[in-house]
Amino acid sequence: MIAIRGLTIDLRDFHLRDINLEIAENEFFILMGPTGAGKTVLLEAIVGLIPIKNGAISIDGRDITALPPEKRGISIVYQDYALFPHLTVLDNITYGLHFHKIDKRKAQGRLAKLLEVLNLSHLQHRLPTNLSGGEKQRVSVARALMVEPKVLLLDEPLSALDPGFREEVRGSLKKLHQTSSITFLMVTHDFSEALSLAGRAAVMNNGRIEQVGEIEDIFKRPNSAFVADFVGMKNLFHAEFKGTKALVSDLEIELGVTPPNSHGYIAIRPEDIVISRRRFSSSMRNAFPAVVTAVIDQGFYYEVRAQSGEVGFASLITKSSLIELKLRETSDVFVSFKATAVHFF
Amino acid sequence: MKREPFFWVSISCGIVIMAFILLPLIQLLTSPSVGMLRESIGDRDVVRSIWLSIYTAGLAALISFVFGTPLAYLLARYDFRGKRLVEGIIDLPIAIPHPVVGIAILSVAGKNHFFGQILAELGVRIMGSVTGIVTVLTFVGIPFYLNAAKAGFEAVSPRLERVSRSLGASMFGTFVRITFPLAWRSMLIGIIMCSARAISEFGAVVIVAYHPMIAPVLIYERFEAYGLKYSQPVAVWLVSISLILFLLLRILTLHKVEEQ
Amino acid sequence: MRAAILFRWTWCAMVAIILILTQGQAFAEVSGKIVIFNAGSLTIPLAQMEKEFEANYPQVDVLREAAGSQKCARKISDLKKPCDIMASADYKVIDKLLIPNYADWNIRFATNQLVLCYTDKSKYAGEVNAKNWYEILARKGVIWGHSEPNLDPCGYRALMVLQLAEKYYKIPGIYARLVANRPKENIRPKSVELVSLLQTGNMDYAWEYLSVAVQHGLKYILLPDQINLGNYRFDEFYSQAVVKVTGKKPGTFMDMKGGSVTYGITMIKDAPNREAAIAFLKCMLDPQGGLKILKNQGQPPFVPCRVPTGAMKSSLPEPLKDLVEVKD
Repeated sequence: MIAIRGLTIDLRDFHLRDINLEIAENEFFILMGPTGAGKTVLLEAIVGLIPIKNGAISIDGRDITALPPEKRGISIVYQDYALFPHLTVLDNITYGLHFHKIDKRKAQGRLAKLLEVLNLSHLQHRLPTNLSGGEKQRVSVARALMVEPKVLLLDEPLSALDPGFREEVRGSLKKLHQTSSITFLMVTHDFSEALSLAGRAAVMNNGRIEQVGEIEDIFKRPNSAFVADFVGMKNLFHAEFKGTKALVSDLEIELGVTPPNSHGYIAIRPEDIVISRRRFSSSMRNAFPAVVTAVIDQGFYYEVRAQSGEVGFASLITKSSLIELKLRETSDVFVSFKATAVHFF
Repeated sequence: MKREPFFWVSISCGIVIMAFILLPLIQLLTSPSVGMLRESIGDRDVVRSIWLSIYTAGLAALISFVFGTPLAYLLARYDFRGKRLVEGIIDLPIAIPHPVVGIAILSVAGKNHFFGQILAELGVRIMGSVTGIVTVLTFVGIPFYLNAAKAGFEAVSPRLERVSRSLGASMFGTFVRITFPLAWRSMLIGIIMCSARAISEFGAVVIVAYHPMIAPVLIYERFEAYGLKYSQPVAVWLVSISLILFLLLRILTLHKVEEQ
Repeated sequence: MRAAILFRWTWCAMVAIILILTQGQAFAEVSGKIVIFNAGSLTIPLAQMEKEFEANYPQVDVLREAAGSQKCARKISDLKKPCDIMASADYKVIDKLLIPNYADWNIRFATNQLVLCYTDKSKYAGEVNAKNWYEILARKGVIWGHSEPNLDPCGYRALMVLQLAEKYYKIPGIYARLVANRPKENIRPKSVELVSLLQTGNMDYAWEYLSVAVQHGLKYILLPDQINLGNYRFDEFYSQAVVKVTGKKPGTFMDMKGGSVTYGITMIKDAPNREAAIAFLKCMLDPQGGLKILKNQGQPPFVPCRVPTGAMKSSLPEPLKDLVEVKD
């Protein structure tokens, strides 16, 4: 549905370098990356609001690179909602109808459906200044969908909302996506959001795409140190590979398979590391004695850092586990994890 | 609640400034006798010159609005090399001494200049004509409109315009439906400022056109020829009529705000 | 006791200082400001006279304000602006508007004549000459003008030339036709403003004094003596021309009769700086001083200057009496 080839943009503060991306019809695609990676620039380039230095964009097989934004059929929802302050909610939502010739009855039907799904019927005649954050966001989405775009772009739509609203709007987005044929492309910082909404995703950095693929793949099998670090794989080590083992400092870590290269990186998600007082006798092929160096309160979880020789591991445990294990700094523990939990590249 | 010294200092400064503005104005408005005022407004030359002042200033504001709006929009939205230079050039008319403005315009409009020759061919006359007066007034007034309109456009978030484009509106459609409704108050203030500047212009106009006489020229001529007694009433009428016009404009816009 | 003596001495010292300061002018050299209201056409010659005078009298600052001669007179009589010397392009303006309330005497010091000025950018510039000028000025599309007759003698003199032309060339109605082809927009308060309009190409033809045309390097048409107001021998012919201008009070009018251009100069009765003004006049009316400058700049002076009656000569300040003869 969306095909981007060799897209290069050179603006004063932002740059995109040779972006290649293919997104299928009706996908829910997530775009991630640190601040300044160029995610918003990419979105706005797809809408046609930014001049392109090089490259091509096609929608549904049609090259739209030269088309002005009003002719592309792509809607965008911004993080700050960008509602027209001088128009009512109803006028905001139906704004696009001025420029798209749609059968009156069809339009009314669509309007009614959107108002219902997004729970906006009672707000129709209000002005945007009198709405809450969540309400504004839903109006913004309704406005974008009213013109039945082929593609809907969302720039961090949920990050400005209270956590309570976030769940609600997330649910609405998912429903809207499933009940239509629109392709969704969304930028987010929130991993749980990404995991719950997306099929495929891409990670951007410095104007380039670092990795594209199924979201699980990106989280579990990052292909570079940057991506691994970005997706929160805290245990990232440089390693030498010998047979099925990875040598990290003085530790021998069992991988279960033979890596194709002789050296590289291994990464383990903190959730996959088990901390125990006594050596585990289990199927986990990797178990190392270690000393706890830090116990960090992360709110709902505790991050426990343990040092085994020269190698420092980070793992996550619940508060109850912490109390049970009576863990504190300098406690002696065992660090265990499955061979399959070790990702190498 | 005990007020801070800063508060009192501010109030004092405010009073000084108000006095500074009001004292000469009150002196001006109360000097002529009612008889002189009546005689003044009955003089056909006086009425003609005040009317000329008003409608040439209005024309200058209209031209500034029509030609200045696209430029103001451009400057508000786009960054380009040399933008600071363009903005500096726009502010130049404010800094140039008024007689110099008049001399410069006359020099370009005369047959010694290629542009003046074109004008002569077209039968357009600048010296001693209403066209010339409007030209001068537009020259001195347009920076005021441009700066006000530009600020108004800058205050409209470009994101709103982007969303509008994505929903199917052209650049012009977006301007009409989104930018203008949100910026019109600044544009109106710009028009008021431009008109105010134009209606008070003297030094530049008197060089380009002594006749037909705008009110400031008439006031000066009467002062030079007959003294304060004969020039003050005309000044009072000009100031009063201008004041009423501007107040009216402001009240109209305030009224609109309440409607919304 | 001591305090009383000290007080008395301080008091005397203060009085002495005040006396000396107020008598200052009588004891000290000529100094201070001289304010001159002069006709526009005298601007350039006076500028040079000022330079030479200030070189000899460095303590003096000459301040000149140029305007149409009637306007100069009104500044003195109506606006009561302080002034030492008034130099007029028409001595009659001094006689009619300043004597006897603001001036006692009137020295006639120079002549001039009117010419029709133009540039090479003027319409029909290649065609115009002393024989067809009035026909060209009557043509549609020709922009020509003169100064304001109510403020500047050059203005009413220009009209007089046109009236005389009608009589001299024997073309009845030409005066009315010419005035009809000169809308109000082509009139300026001061004739010297017309020069810049000519130079920028905003005006085709303008009426000016010969001296001004020469000083600014303009092209000009010399007219027959019978109509150019430059030759006193034709005073009787000139007197046929009459122009009505505003009078002493607003709403009143007076008739200016045609006569040969004669410049007049006077010192105002309550001049703030009499000593310096007299010193300046002494230099200006000197045949080797100011009069020579006038001659070099294209404006024929009277050598020596004139007053019409012996009574007026005796009312002149002493230092000036030698520079003036009695001649009407």
